[in-house]
Parts: sequence; structure tokens; C-alpha cells
Amino acid sequence: MLAKFVVRRFLASIVVVLGVTLITLLLMDRTRGTYVPGIDLNPALRPEDIARLRTNLGLDQPFYMWYVTWIWNVAHGDFGRSMIDGSPVTSHILDRLPNTLELTGTAIVVGILLSIPLGVIGALRRGSKADHALTVVSVAGFAVPQFWMGLLLILIFSVTFQQAGLPWLPSSGATSPLNGGDLWDRIVHLLMPATVLAFFYLSVWSRFTRSSMLEVLSQDYIRTARAKGMSERRVVYLHGLRNALIPLITLVGLELPGLVSGGLVVEVVFGWPGIGRLAFERALQYDYSTVMGVTFFATLLVVAGNLLADVLYAILDPRIRYA
Amino acid sequence: MIDPGQAIASDLPAPAFEGDARRPAQSYWNESWERLRANRIGIVCGSLIVVLALIAIAAPLFTQFLTHVEPSQLDLDNTFKPPGGAHLLGTDELGRDTLTRLIYGGRVTLGVAFLTIALSLTLGTGVGLLAGYYGRWIDDLLMRFVDVVLAFPAIFLFILMAILFRPTPITLAAVIASVGWGGVARLVRGEVLSVKERDFILATRSIGARDVRLIVRHLLPNVLPVLIVAATLGVGQIILIEAALDFLGLGIQPPTASWGNMLTNSQSYFFHSTWLVYFPGITIFVTVLAANLFGNAVRDAFDPRLK
Amino acid sequence: MATTLLEVQDLRTVFATKNGNVKAVDGVSFHLDAGETLGIVGESGCGKSVTAMSVIGLQRPGRIVGGRVLFMGRDLTKASETEMREIRGQEIAMIFQDPMTSLNPVFRTGWQVGEPLRLHRGVDGIRALAGAVAMLGKVGISSPAERAKSYPHQFSGGMRQRAMIAMGLTTTPKVLIADEPTTALDVTIQAQILDLLRQVNREFGTATILITHNLGVVAGMCERVMVMYAGKVVESGPTTDVFAHPKHPYTWSLLRSIPRLDAERHEALKPIEGLPPNLIDLPKGCAFHPRCPFKIEKCSRDTPVLNRVGATQLAACWVTQAGTELKGA
Repeated sequence: MLAKFVVRRFLASIVVVLGVTLITLLLMDRTRGTYVPGIDLNPALRPEDIARLRTNLGLDQPFYMWYVTWIWNVAHGDFGRSMIDGSPVTSHILDRLPNTLELTGTAIVVGILLSIPLGVIGALRRGSKADHALTVVSVAGFAVPQFWMGLLLILIFSVTFQQAGLPWLPSSGATSPLNGGDLWDRIVHLLMPATVLAFFYLSVWSRFTRSSMLEVLSQDYIRTARAKGMSERRVVYLHGLRNALIPLITLVGLELPGLVSGGLVVEVVFGWPGIGRLAFERALQYDYSTVMGVTFFATLLVVAGNLLADVLYAILDPRIRYA
Repeated sequence: MIDPGQAIASDLPAPAFEGDARRPAQSYWNESWERLRANRIGIVCGSLIVVLALIAIAAPLFTQFLTHVEPSQLDLDNTFKPPGGAHLLGTDELGRDTLTRLIYGGRVTLGVAFLTIALSLTLGTGVGLLAGYYGRWIDDLLMRFVDVVLAFPAIFLFILMAILFRPTPITLAAVIASVGWGGVARLVRGEVLSVKERDFILATRSIGARDVRLIVRHLLPNVLPVLIVAATLGVGQIILIEAALDFLGLGIQPPTASWGNMLTNSQSYFFHSTWLVYFPGITIFVTVLAANLFGNAVRDAFDPRLK
Repeated sequence: MATTLLEVQDLRTVFATKNGNVKAVDGVSFHLDAGETLGIVGESGCGKSVTAMSVIGLQRPGRIVGGRVLFMGRDLTKASETEMREIRGQEIAMIFQDPMTSLNPVFRTGWQVGEPLRLHRGVDGIRALAGAVAMLGKVGISSPAERAKSYPHQFSGGMRQRAMIAMGLTTTPKVLIADEPTTALDVTIQAQILDLLRQVNREFGTATILITHNLGVVAGMCERVMVMYAGKVVESGPTTDVFAHPKHPYTWSLLRSIPRLDAERHEALKPIEGLPPNLIDLPKGCAFHPRCPFKIEKCSRDTPVLNRVGATQLAACWVTQAGTELKGA
């Protein structure tokens, strides 16, 4: 039954989270001995004070204590503090997370909405010019470096358009610094970065939908459906697509965990104020603890996302539930 | 004395129809190789990759005879020269020749890519073979570990490791491989599980073969096709990852040229030297495209599941 | 006086391949009367399935290039696609060989079984489901209301085939075409399904075309039988007559090749020599002559035509049409 399946997968996820914590902290251990977040550059502090502060912050504890403390903290929503200014990682995450979700969420939705019709067209008109064109675009799309595509789009639509006097797209940020924030402003800023991300998804998913559709249409139950005397449209879109979408959803599901991290490069290129860019900026400043906190958070989301995808798949394909 | 070979041969029934005896039996490898050779796109792309690799390896030769400069050679009188003349592809902000840097960059990028694959495949195959063959708690343990490794969002892990360890080409390859091996392990384990059940394994064990022999001489060759396919399909992605890391400044550091880090400052080239944006990107694109198409051709030829 | 529901005249269906045109159905003629059960028998690739698919217009990617299919007087080969859709699933229903792959795995069984009702009778979902449940009960599925909510993979093979049959009958069609309905089932279940088909034929009066390669099935089920080879009908007639004295060497060889319990223990099996013909490049003359133990010179020159041989049978064979009896060791 569905409930049992979910519980089983959930327990497996817990184990993975514990493992992730372990590895995270092992990596962090390399940096533990040297810094006190936000404070150590103050020349007025005496060595005893620093030592006391470090004890207070639990930085000189044996590893297992640190592990337990970390898990305790995380369970209460505390992902650590920055090494630069002591600010809580959690607040940074909460600030930036909506932006990232806005970007990757839009890209995934657009990707799905475009991939399905393109894939179906490719399957129904197999071998036609449209099909070949789609294949070429897909193959090319898979080979283009995301960051380069972003740069090109900026070059064309921000720089060149502006130079040519045409209406141009903003090249950074989620909103304009002055008078920004309304829906149109957000859309205009979202356009290019989301296109870059969506393009990548599209090139993979449309091909996948196409081959999935082709396989489904060659199945016996499609023959049965036709023999029942329904229109070809019903055969393809009700009996066929429903089956062809299952593998696609699995594939999309595999992307869900990457919802938070998938857009990092695009965020950096477009100056998008998301979680990925946060990690990147802090990394350049060697703010280990923030990067760790953000990484751990993103990993938790991956595990949760995997769980969600499994459950979704089980809902869609009745054969899984009862296995 | 009766020749046993002859006696046996004459006992066999004649072939059912003439077509039987004519085609010689072919090994899996020969057959796959021939199929690959018949795929023109695959051959073109594969050759392109080989040519690029050769150029990368022979980089000093090229610079000596073609461009006459070193990749890090500054020429502050000739900064931002457009393509043409002595500098076929122009120069950058420090007067360094773009073509030369692309050639040397190829060395770095391709070198890191191949090293990454090698590391990834070795570790992944080892773990996958062990997990698949021994099963039970070893399998559970190893696969949980793989689950954990695969749970980390790769790019974050790369960033983290880039600031924890110094990014040299070798450490970069190790970092990228540290995420990639998980997928390989799962793949290999799956193949082992399906091969393990086949009768020839049972037969081999029943004549007393030891585990190691079984794994190396019997399981591994059957797993190789899947590995080959995975490796060739993965090259393109690894190059893209490596280029992205370099672009972000978390990979190969300047002044060592790599295709990715040639684009790090490209935002400042937008207004006057756009060739500096196009060339490295096009190079990456063409290489990855060729790698992907070649990978597809290899998969079409070698994948046992498509037979 | 039996009414003829379906009359197929000289049907020809061709598949274009890169090696040439495959004449899958090469001049097939037969008729089906109301209420009767006709068996179509032949080995794999002889064209029996394609014939059936051609009748309901699902021969794609093949093309019907000749002949007529008269259903209640109407020529279906000339009908539009819309008109054919009215007929499919409502007047002529077809069920297929492997119920596991022939039922859609993502829809509940009751929904699928009721679909013809929703399509053709315009009933709503609830009434269609009720109709489906009733039919599921009639084909021998216990607790049909419960079962209707299940998915195909939760059924056993026999139950799935019963569900398929139910699906074909919900609209009480005049003709039911069953393409190898028992081939994918266990032997014990086969018998049950055949019983069901017999029962259905009695109760609903549905004329049935039963396609199979298994002569035993034909013997138990069909009043008349038609034997196909290489896209042509080589013999037809009442089952008992055809089995008792076959008038075509192919039928004769088929009957002989069946292992029998009452045969002598040391007797070797008697397979049919040679291989089935290449449908792109058929032998000159009779398609069967290279494998025929009775062939005469005429067989390799002229293609035989289906003609009356004996009181009740038709056969396409020069040898038997000339009066020779088929006998031999």
C-alpha cells in the first residue's frame, strides 16, 4: 500500500541524512581548529578570551559531541554561523531561497510545458523535418555550456540591444534597484536566466518524451485502444501519453532534488540573489561555515526531493505501489 | 587412429539451409566495433576528439610552428587585438594570444576530463563489483554510502572542496570524480546483479573458481560494455563541469589557461572584444558536441541492452 | 436460413518494406454467418492476424490494395475513418493475444472494460462502470465490483483474458474476433477461456472468428475452419470434414505432424519439411509446392485457385482438384 511504501522510503532517507551529516562534518573538521566566527580579527581580544569563546561555541569539543550538537542545531533550524560576521546561515538561506526557487521552479515548469508537446510532435511526425530540427536543437542544447549561453544572451539582449537602441533586458539581479519589484519587473529579470536553465531541461526532456512516446505507441494496449473504436487523438493523448509521461516524470523527479543547486552557475552569471550565488560569494571569502551550512541544507533538500519523487512515481504508476 | 575432430564433425547434421555456414561467428567486440565503424557521424566525431587530443598533447609543437608565442607570454603593446594577422584569433587583456591559450587550455581541460573519468571508473567499478558480487550486508553498506555521496548536490561540493583543497589539475579531477563515481558504482552493481544470475557464473563456480578469479575474469568483461558506454557518454558532461568550475574561478587558476577560465572576465569584454567571448565558448561547445555524438554512436554500437 | 454478416472477397493487404512489398494477405475470401464460429488456422506469418486487422481497418502500416469487406452489406474498405470507428468496438469487436500487454497498465480494469460503452453508447462514467461490472460477472470473474477497481497487473492471466473478453462484449457486438486468445495462457486456463467463448457464443449469439495456430483449439470450438498459408486461403470447410479428410497437402501435413498419444512409441515425429516462404519473393505457382509431398508438375507453374473439392470443402490444390486422395505414411 502507498503508506507502507512511503514509510520505508522515509526511513531510508533518514539513514542517508545521517551519513551526509557525517561527511559534512568530517570535511568541516579541517577548518574547525583555526577560526572563531566573526571575532578573531579583533586585536583587543586576549588569547584567553578567544579560547573561552571557542569553548562556548563548541569549537574545541571532540568530534562526536560536535556531531550531536550539529544535528540538534539543524533539527532546530540552526545551520551554523558565518565565519566572517557571525550572522546565522539560516537567515541567509531564508532570504535567498525564494529567489532560487523562483528561478529553477520557473525553468522546470517551462521545461515540462514545452518538452511534452515537442516530444509528442517528434514522435508523431517521426522522420519529418520538424523532428530532425528538434533533434538537432536537442543535441546542440546538451553540449552548450550553461554559463556561456548566459553570457551570450547578456551580450545580445542586454549589451547589443542597448547599443542598438532597442528595448533591452536587464542582466543582473531579480529586481531593479530603483522602482523595481512589481510583477513585470520580476518577469523581465527572470527571462534570460530562466531561459538558459529551461533550454537545458528542454533539450533533454523533449528527446526523452519523444522516445518514451514512440515506445508507448508500439505497445499492444494501443492496438487494443484503436480496436475499441476511439479517435486517434484519444488513443494518443489519453491512452498513450498517460503512459509515456511516467518515465518523464521520473526524469523530472530526478531534477527536483537539484531544484536548489541546479541554478548556481546561472545565478552567478546573472547576479541572481539566490542560494547558489550565496554559496559562491561566501566561498570566495573563505567563509567555510556558511558554505557548509548552505551545502548541508541543499543536501537535505536533495534527500527530501528524492523522497518526494519516489512518492510521486508511486502515485502515478500503480504497479509500483503494490510491488 | 581416428581423428576425434573429424569423427565428431561428420556426426553433426548438415546446416538447415545454406545461409548457416557462410557467416563466420563474431565475437561481441568485433561485432560492436564494426557497427561503430559503420556509423559515419560517430567516426567523424571520434576522429575529431582524437585530433583535439593530439593537438593538446603536441601543444608545444603547435605554438612553436604556428603561433610562435607561449600561452602566458604577455605583450602589453598588443592588448585586445582583433583576430587576424600574427594573432589568428586575437589577443586578450594582457596581449596573450588566444589561439595559443586555446591549444594549451585544451591540454588542461581534456587532461582533467580523462583523468576524472579514469578515477571515477576505477573507484566506481571497484565498489560496484564488490557490492554486486558479495551482496547482502556489504551491498547494503556500500550502496547506502553511494546514496550519501549522490545526495550531495555536486556543484556545492565542488565549491566546498575547491576552497578546502588547492585546485591543481589533479585535485580538480579528484574532486569531480568524487561525485561521479557514485553513478558508476550503481550502474556496475546493476550489471553485476543481472550477470551474476546467469548460468555460466554458476558453472564456473561449480568447477571451483575462486572469487577473485570469478570477478576479474568473468564478471568484469561482461560489465565492460556498460562502462564503455557510460564513460563515452560522460566525457561531454565532465568537460562542461570542469569548464564551469574554471569559469567560476574555483578550478584551474590563471595564468594557466583553460577554456573555462578564459571566460572568467568575459563580462568586461562585452563592449569591445567580443571574440574573446566567442572563441573559448565555441571550442567547448564543439568539443562537447563531438564527445556527445561519439558517445551516442558508441552506445548504439556497444550497448548490450540494445541488442 | 443463416444471414451472412461478414463477407470478405479477394482481400489483399500489402506492407511496403525496404526489401520489397510483403503480400501479407493475398486474395483471401471467406464469409461469416450470424451466430457461427469460424476458425482461421495457420502458422505464424501466414497472414491470419493481418486479415483480421484489415477487416476492421487497423492494417496500418499496411495498405489494403484490393478486394472488399462486406459487413451487413456495406463495404468497409470504402468506409471513412469516422465510420470505421463506429463499427470498431461496437459492431465488430476484437480481442488480442496477450492480455497483460493488451490492457493499459495505468487505468483501472473496470474503467477500461466500460470504455466502449462510454465511447459508443454515450453513457456516463457511473453507468459505464455498472455495465462493466455486470459483464465482468458474466464472464466468470468473482466479486466483479471489487475487481473492477483493480489494475490489470493485479489479475491472473486467465482473469485478464476474461476481462478482455468482457471488454469486447459490453456493446454486444455482432462479430467478435479473437486473435490467439489462449496462446499466452497456461493449458488449464486455456480450456476455461475456450469454455467461456463457447458460452458467450451461445448466450449472446455473437458470431466469432477464432484465430489460432493450434488445431486442437479449432477442433473443440469452431463449426467451420479456414486454413491459411503464405497469405492465401488454402482450404476451408466444416471442421469435422476438414479434419477427417483434408483436401490440401498443407492441412494434411499439419494434421499429421501433431504428436498423438495413440501413436506407436518408436514412430518419429513427422514435421513439415522445409521453411515457410518469403512473402516478398513467393515461389512460382503454388506457394506450398516446395514442401509438398504430393506435388505434380503443374504446381510449380500455375497458382491454384480455391475451388470445391468434395461435398463441403474448398481447397486450392491442383492435386486434389484433379481427384487424388491424400494418403500416405
